[in-house]
Amino acid sequence: MTADDRTPDDVPFETVSSSEVTRGERIRATIDEWILVPARILWSDWRARVGTLIMLLYVLMGTVGVWLVDAPQIGEGERLIPPFTDPSYPLGTDSMGNDLFAQVVHATPPMLEMIVAGALFTTVMATIVGTFSGYKGGRTDKLLMMFTDILLTIPGLPLVIVIAVILEPREPWVIGIILTLNAWAGLARAIRSQVLTMREESFVEASRLMGLPTRTILVKDIVPGLMPYILVNFVNSARTVVFTSVGLYFLGILPFTNHNWGVMMNLAYTTGGALYTLRAAHWLLVPMAAIVLLSFGFILFAQGTDRLFNPRVRARHENNAGANSSDDADENSGKVSTHIQG
Amino acid sequence: MSDNSFTGRSEATKADVSAIQVDDPILEMRDASVTFDMDRGESRVLDQVNLDVQRNEILGVVGESGSGKSMFASALLDAVVDPGTLSGDITYHPDPDRSVDVLDLSPEQLRELRWEEISMVFQGAQSSFNPTTTIRDHFEETIEAHNYDMAQGMAHARELLEDLYLEPDRVLDAYPHELSGGMQQRALIALSLVLEPNVLVMDEPTAALDLLMQRSILSLLNDLQEKYDLTVVFITHDLPLVAGLADRLAVMYAFEFAEVGPADEIIRNPTHPYTRSLLKAVPNLDTPLQEMQPIEGMAPDPVDVPEGCSYHPRCPLADDVCRASNPAYHAVDDSDDHVAACFHWEQASDVLSLTTDGETEHAEIVGKQSADPVVSLTDVDVHFEQEADGGLLSIFDDPDLVHAVDDVSLDVYENDVVALVGESGCGKTTLGKTSIAAQRPTGGSVTYREQDVWDAKDGVGDVETPFEAIRRSLQMVHQDPGGSLNPNRKVQASLEAPLKHWNTGMDAEDRKERVFSMLEYVGMSPPEDYAGRYPHQLSGGEQQRVALIRALLMNPDLILADEAVSALDVSLRVEVMDLMLELQDVFDTSYLFISHNLSNARYFAGNAGGRIGVMYLGEIVEIGPAEEIIANPKHPYTKVLKWSTADLEVDQDVEEPPISSIDIPDPVDPPSGCRFHTRCPEAREACARQQPSLDEHASDDEHRVACFREYDQSHEYWESEPIDDGESTDLFADGSDAAEIESDD
Ligand code: SF4
Ligand code: SF4
Repeated sequence: MTADDRTPDDVPFETVSSSEVTRGERIRATIDEWILVPARILWSDWRARVGTLIMLLYVLMGTVGVWLVDAPQIGEGERLIPPFTDPSYPLGTDSMGNDLFAQVVHATPPMLEMIVAGALFTTVMATIVGTFSGYKGGRTDKLLMMFTDILLTIPGLPLVIVIAVILEPREPWVIGIILTLNAWAGLARAIRSQVLTMREESFVEASRLMGLPTRTILVKDIVPGLMPYILVNFVNSARTVVFTSVGLYFLGILPFTNHNWGVMMNLAYTTGGALYTLRAAHWLLVPMAAIVLLSFGFILFAQGTDRLFNPRVRARHENNAGANSSDDADENSGKVSTHIQG
Repeated sequence: MSDNSFTGRSEATKADVSAIQVDDPILEMRDASVTFDMDRGESRVLDQVNLDVQRNEILGVVGESGSGKSMFASALLDAVVDPGTLSGDITYHPDPDRSVDVLDLSPEQLRELRWEEISMVFQGAQSSFNPTTTIRDHFEETIEAHNYDMAQGMAHARELLEDLYLEPDRVLDAYPHELSGGMQQRALIALSLVLEPNVLVMDEPTAALDLLMQRSILSLLNDLQEKYDLTVVFITHDLPLVAGLADRLAVMYAFEFAEVGPADEIIRNPTHPYTRSLLKAVPNLDTPLQEMQPIEGMAPDPVDVPEGCSYHPRCPLADDVCRASNPAYHAVDDSDDHVAACFHWEQASDVLSLTTDGETEHAEIVGKQSADPVVSLTDVDVHFEQEADGGLLSIFDDPDLVHAVDDVSLDVYENDVVALVGESGCGKTTLGKTSIAAQRPTGGSVTYREQDVWDAKDGVGDVETPFEAIRRSLQMVHQDPGGSLNPNRKVQASLEAPLKHWNTGMDAEDRKERVFSMLEYVGMSPPEDYAGRYPHQLSGGEQQRVALIRALLMNPDLILADEAVSALDVSLRVEVMDLMLELQDVFDTSYLFISHNLSNARYFAGNAGGRIGVMYLGEIVEIGPAEEIIANPKHPYTKVLKWSTADLEVDQDVEEPPISSIDIPDPVDPPSGCRFHTRCPEAREACARQQPSLDEHASDDEHRVACFREYDQSHEYWESEPIDDGESTDLFADGSDAAEIESDD
């Protein structure tokens, strides 16, 4: 005899719906929740706004840009035209007469592919391993953590170099994953320790007591609380991928198959002597600027995004939620106390 | 009534302000308002407040959360946070002839004023201390920052700590987390007094603590106030708590003071309708259960305070005058120190009667318990391994076994209410979680409708009721309303989660409707609005309602309510408990109600004809029908708890507790014999050797006590010598000390 065979009458419990909401309305609500609200939040913070714009610029460059700008060809222009002098070669040319702007643009798609593959791989791996291990505890935890610890003890860069030399990867997404092969382990550990404290939260315990499956609890209760942290790390690993790949291309460890900013810098340094002659300096500076700007965009974006998952901020950007005053009062008195103590 | 009383609230004359002024004020507040500019309009969180604080008095400021009482404290110190603007005058008189305009001070002068002249203590000592430095560093930093003499300052610090019954050497070298909550709060009080301020402003300083500790701290505060000639402003939502301590009380409602007067006047002859209702709404041990009732309606929003008397929407006496104009203060019975801001104060006592005299028949409330237990615990033990950061002295020890629950048997019936009462650390939460199968016992058995719960989980033997069904039938409502809901999910999503998983037959629309109707049922309307909110947009009481609904959506047989109302304002508790009881009728569920507060337990269990069980160090020491336990407590520990439950008596001073040590012994090494003997005022030698037990054969509705004093005269207790614990300072000794004394025997 269990709970289900009781049927109290007249109880709010037995309510079933009488109205139908159209599909369109539901879709609209979903769009609002997942796209419009985040967009509004991002837009309201200048760092996130600038960061997003910079990232958008690169995405455009990597998608539309390659259609608009012809691929660079040897000898298409004069050798070493300085930047901002010739409108058909806005950023100048290298010592072979290649258009630098076209090179930067055409290096973007593989770079984006690498970033997405690498950053996704790190964060998804770390989140899955970290949350699962932290929430489950016991033997699962021990095994998973042993595995991550082993990965952590292997020095990252040498491992990447060895693998790159052996495999000679050409596919950008493979490169992305190789570059972050053991970067996720540290993140997984950090996430696990956060999950350890979160699993004791009352609302997580309540879900557990309601008999909800572990998967649901992880996805609905645990991960959303970690999202700011995960997102910041996603962006950080994106930067790592950019820097490592550029570094390895520059050092010539990764095969020169694609256009890459690192390859450009390598050539500028080795064949153009860009460090010694002012005439070739722009050859080195242009790809560098591309890298710095992208990384700057990432940093700004990351700084702005922790607001994205803050329910207080979200509520403010939703048009349907009712305003509540006690909240403001609480917030204020909270501030008072920290203020005076501080 | 003068004509200009109809000209609107801002011009309403506050005619009789005599009580608001005092002869020798140390702080004067005139026309102080605090406003915040918000999207929705101007939020006025302090509204033209006039009040003086008398030198060397203890002033109790009482109000519900959101009544502006914290803002009053901040305003006193010109510490209103940034977007807020403070207007009016605040004058501080270091001595009767000097005055300082607080709002005129430079930031540097203000900083000095805040520590050296007026200092503040807040709720939650944990967040006030820096966890990475020792208590000594906190003292030294404070002394240094204000250029005081270090040696002298530290000497004073030690004296203060001793006054607060803390051992200076040990406490100074400890890190904050190594001290119990009560010790931290006492250390914080010492810290705030180290620069010898004249005024101490305390904002809910004890709210997070056990009642027993609260009362003990208050009695210490009383001593401190006398010894150091302090002026204390004590801000709280808990009227009974300060009633015995304060010289004067000021009741706040809607960002201004409704009634001000001497404490005994306010309690004996409350005059403002709000004060009267508040007194009725506070759970206590003396008022008959039927008399307690919540205040209807909600406290106003600071953006939109009602016109006229701000209390009129909730006031049973309100008439057109009240709606049109703001009442001035009227002297009550021509006394010049008791005033109430109400037009009809003379009628208030007729309309809102209070039974201050004790002659009322206790109507018998009969519960509807079934004969067969739903959940039954037999000889349950729960022992944990001690974690590394246990007590103060245990940091270097090996992990120890904590006896959280020891050999407890308890049956919970259908439609039953059992309230477990005890101090923190007595194992009541662990026992509760064990009963709802959230915690696996290390010994004994837990059965749900005769099915062993953990056998069902492990699939041992014949499993008649699958664990899944058991899991659904045993639910929990947590203590902290803020933490019991996922902050990232809206109310709707949180409530839908169990339905999605268990009632797969329902589609999205049905779920939504059901959630709406439940919200509506518990008085959260319009439900569409509430369903779309995030938890932070709800008040504490609303959050607790949502948590309760979520548990009920599972249609459980037993709900563990772990301190479910303790975090709420006293005035809200009755309301939420009433709701829980009403829902019990509707859903046929039982409650296991856990509280450190005897009066909440009494209200909740008493109104359902349930039982109260008193726990001490992992054991149930007394259990029986609620009213019986309250009216006739037998175990010395229950008597202590009853003492700690402040009642609305003012003439009795805050006296010494009837107990010989206020901190609970270390559950790692529980005292031998009767576990209470280290603190028991009645303890005799035999108590240290033998263990009293509850009568196993008595039925569940009998009053049972585990104390030798209930045994007959032939028991050796009556022959043996009283245990003499000598020094009185033992009273506030730390628990581990008690354990040490014990092992020396
Ligand atoms: S009687 Fe009128 S003035 Fe007095 S509290 Fe009620 S509404 Fe306010
Ligand atoms: S048995 Fe002895 S020590 Fe225990 S409560 Fe009774 S009198 Fe006190």
